[in-house]
Amino acid sequence: MNLETKKVLLAVDDPAMVRLRDRRMFKDGLVRRMMGVGGVGVVVAIMLIFFYLLYEVYPLLDSAEMERSSEYSLSIAPTDKTLDYLLDEQVELAFRYGDSGEILAFSLETGAVESRFNLPIPEGVSISSYTNSGVEGALAAVGLSDGSVIIFQPEFKVSFPNDVRKITAALSYPLGEAPIFISDNHAELKKLAFQSNEDGTTLVGWQGGEVLSLLRLEIEESMMDDELTLERYEAVVDQTLGNIDYLLLDEQQRNLYIANKKGVLHEYAVSDLDEIEGPDKTQLTVEGEQLTSLKFLTGYLSLLAGNDNGEVSQWFHARDEQGVSKLRRIRSFASENGEVTVIAVEHFRKGFVALGKKGELGLYHTTAQQELLIEKVAEGPLYHMVIAPRANALLLEGVNGKLQLWHVENEHPEVSWHSLWEEVWYESYDKPEHLWQSSSSSDDFEPKFSLTPLAFGTLKAAFYAMLVAVPIAILGAIYTAYFMAPRLRQVVKPTIEIMEALPTVILGFLAGLWLAPALEDNLAGVFSLLIILPVGILFFSWFWQRLPRKVQDLVAEGWQPLLIFPVVMFLGWLSFALSQPVEAVFFGGDIRNWLTNDMGIPFDQRNSIVVGVAMGFAVIPTIFSMTEDAVFSVPKHLTFGSLALGATPWQTMTKVVILTASPGIFSAVMIGFGRAVGETMIVLMATGNTPIMDFSIFQGMRTLAANIAVEMPEAEVASTHFRILFLAALVLFGFTFIFNTAAEVIRQRLRDKYSSL
Amino acid sequence: MENRQNRAHSIDMSNLNKGEKAANKEEKKTCFTVSDLNLYYGEKQALQSINLEIPEKSVTAFIGPSGCGKSTLLRCFNRMNDLVDSARVEGEILLEGEDIYAKTMNVADLRRRVGMVFQKPNPFPKSIYENVAYGLRIQGVNNRHVLDEVVEKSLKGAALWDEVKDRLQESALGMSGGQQQRLVIARAIAIEPEVILLDEPASALDPISTLKIEELINDLKSDYTILIVTHNMQQAARVSDHTAFMYMGDMVEFGATNQVFTNPSKQKTEDYITGRYG
Repeated sequence: MNLETKKVLLAVDDPAMVRLRDRRMFKDGLVRRMMGVGGVGVVVAIMLIFFYLLYEVYPLLDSAEMERSSEYSLSIAPTDKTLDYLLDEQVELAFRYGDSGEILAFSLETGAVESRFNLPIPEGVSISSYTNSGVEGALAAVGLSDGSVIIFQPEFKVSFPNDVRKITAALSYPLGEAPIFISDNHAELKKLAFQSNEDGTTLVGWQGGEVLSLLRLEIEESMMDDELTLERYEAVVDQTLGNIDYLLLDEQQRNLYIANKKGVLHEYAVSDLDEIEGPDKTQLTVEGEQLTSLKFLTGYLSLLAGNDNGEVSQWFHARDEQGVSKLRRIRSFASENGEVTVIAVEHFRKGFVALGKKGELGLYHTTAQQELLIEKVAEGPLYHMVIAPRANALLLEGVNGKLQLWHVENEHPEVSWHSLWEEVWYESYDKPEHLWQSSSSSDDFEPKFSLTPLAFGTLKAAFYAMLVAVPIAILGAIYTAYFMAPRLRQVVKPTIEIMEALPTVILGFLAGLWLAPALEDNLAGVFSLLIILPVGILFFSWFWQRLPRKVQDLVAEGWQPLLIFPVVMFLGWLSFALSQPVEAVFFGGDIRNWLTNDMGIPFDQRNSIVVGVAMGFAVIPTIFSMTEDAVFSVPKHLTFGSLALGATPWQTMTKVVILTASPGIFSAVMIGFGRAVGETMIVLMATGNTPIMDFSIFQGMRTLAANIAVEMPEAEVASTHFRILFLAALVLFGFTFIFNTAAEVIRQRLRDKYSSL
Repeated sequence: MENRQNRAHSIDMSNLNKGEKAANKEEKKTCFTVSDLNLYYGEKQALQSINLEIPEKSVTAFIGPSGCGKSTLLRCFNRMNDLVDSARVEGEILLEGEDIYAKTMNVADLRRRVGMVFQKPNPFPKSIYENVAYGLRIQGVNNRHVLDEVVEKSLKGAALWDEVKDRLQESALGMSGGQQQRLVIARAIAIEPEVILLDEPASALDPISTLKIEELINDLKSDYTILIVTHNMQQAARVSDHTAFMYMGDMVEFGATNQVFTNPSKQKTEDYITGRYG
């Protein structure tokens, strides 16, 4: 064959052709890879988000750990008995109080004594009792054998010589070095309690016998000049307990508790020394149990009672069913550690450490109701244990007088399944509840981290939004796809799709600032609208059907929706015009009052109706658009097949079209729901953000998304609160993931079943 | 099959004779009377002055080249053309003396009386049982016994019963194309129409399925008036008693099938049948 003369259309071996082919292959491969990278990239991005959330949340799940960092004896061996220890915030320096009045400051690392102080105890007098003001103040006091008290303040002074932090110990006497006599009785002080705040100091002492002596010292400014004088107020309380083993006074200097080993507790209200009330009696133990330890939990609202079975129970005041406030046993923590010898309370969290007679200690958190850690620290009973202010270290005095310093890793004890999802009995609440209250002005506040009301709020908001959106969007979409004139459809569909582009923040502030008050003012009108609008439209349709054919023919088939416009406007106007009379006739002139007073339904201006309408408005375009596509793409041959069997268009629509479009309609609803669950701006601005568990349509809610938006900026990084917000995000992520996956699975099933040929 | 379509002389004469016998057996009543029927799609005229008398309980075939208007004409008999926005019909079609384009005519009722089977099998995404029962259900029949009876009778009538009786509750979408088409026929006869319109019922099917459909048509004509549009002249010759040849919206020739195929009176008909065009 002569190749030169023959005209070859496709010369396969021609270099140009080969190049073209190679280039074509290259393009094909490149595009395929790019698409692959894109697809994998999306999956990777989602996985990364998921893992990042998990990474931030993971520490919440970490269990507590502790390890012994050092064990030593003090460089100057004390000859007296230990009263107490006190640690500084940096876990560098500590005080030891001895019962001879000697106070040592020593390095926590080595046990080297750095300073020594002696309390100004008069000659011939010894220390007979000791107390400190509790967890936060470092104030401590000793009661003396002559009935007097010395209050002293150990201090850690931080300085930075040569830019190196140096902590030195100091001791001061805020009420003076001279011992203060608590009463005229100069007998030995067997038990002592005191509290001090800016209003004054209250001392309570028991010198044996049947009276307690109270002394309140108040610093008062003279009216005439600026001279400060110390005023003394004394009182005595008759006590019927007998031998007192525990004497506690709360920080507000209102409640005085005395208890004995048998677990009998008497409580006095001492806020007014002239009118002391009490005692209210409570039994803290059951028959045969001994009370071995009694302490305040931080915040002074709860008492922690340890018994000889190794159990610690938490008690606080709560109203019972009859409305009587009394000290109630809230929860308890059992252990196998034997008799509780010491309870040490964390300073800023509702956690505590209990030491058992067998030498095992347990780390607990009251709100989370969980045992975090059990650790064997000694072979026998120990009697001195103090916790560092940041709860990151423990100092234990061994039987041999040796000190053990333990480092504690316990970042997020507040979090447990119980505290996140179940009803928790919070301090000063009357019953267990689901609550979210993450922050407060005070440090010893009990954070309430229940995600249940947030998850509930999320679903509630989505539910009301769907209640508004689903009927409107689906019915509208079916009408548009199936009955509407094509030219009208071409206008209607894009218009509704444009609604989707409306920023939700605009919807949100319209809902919050305009809709919510408008709705509140016209509540009766809104409810009239709910009745008048459907009835009116149905009536109009019926009326239109009754008109002579000639009139009906004036409007082309499929253009009838335009007729509805003026009708809807008129009905809307009518409803609001009727608002006042309806209110006057049925609701005594004010529907809000009627709701709240007559029906007992609380009304919130930012309520579910507002959210339902605003978020429904945001979700309608999504559902409408997808449903419309699904219905419109039902093959014509199915419709014709049904019509050819003598079915009316309505029968065809309900029995064939919707059935065939059902997978698409279902995904439309689920995607709409997913959007409603994740929606932030509207719920943020229109719900009032009240984290309550109430399904009422007149109440607001707080959703997971809005909660994250509100609180994330003010959450301290890496704090429990911060991580719980990430957990909320993870829950939200899980919600949408589960809904979407379930929706997809169901949709596939439906499609296998109902998709047409 | 495709080859034979273009060779009129190879038509099996025995079929034609059979058709002739059937047509001449007795003088049948008229089912449809079409007089002066014009149909426009917008400005374009698709049917021009059609006049026809279709006898009942026989098979009438409509043949002609693509676009000649035979399907359009078929759709006039159950007013499916109403669903085309731009379609406009003039003239009248009488179904047993009743004008089906009269304002008083209920279209849904007309379509119950005049069933239709489309080119592509279109079972609903429901079970086999529900597909057949559909026509009855929309008429408000929900009695289980009645439905069971009608479903069985219709499936037997469509020669499908033995193939599907054990899987009536399975989706109709799992059937073969031929089965689906017979199911659609069963669905059509379940509501006992007077007329069945078949719009190229076998064009999407394989030869064996086609054969079954044709046998079915033969069985059905004793009870129903059947109008069939087909591209396949073999098929028209095999199954029909009367044949109408259409060309460019005109009814060129209408007569007994054997006469149209063996001795057409119009040159155009002969040209088409002998394969000069089409």
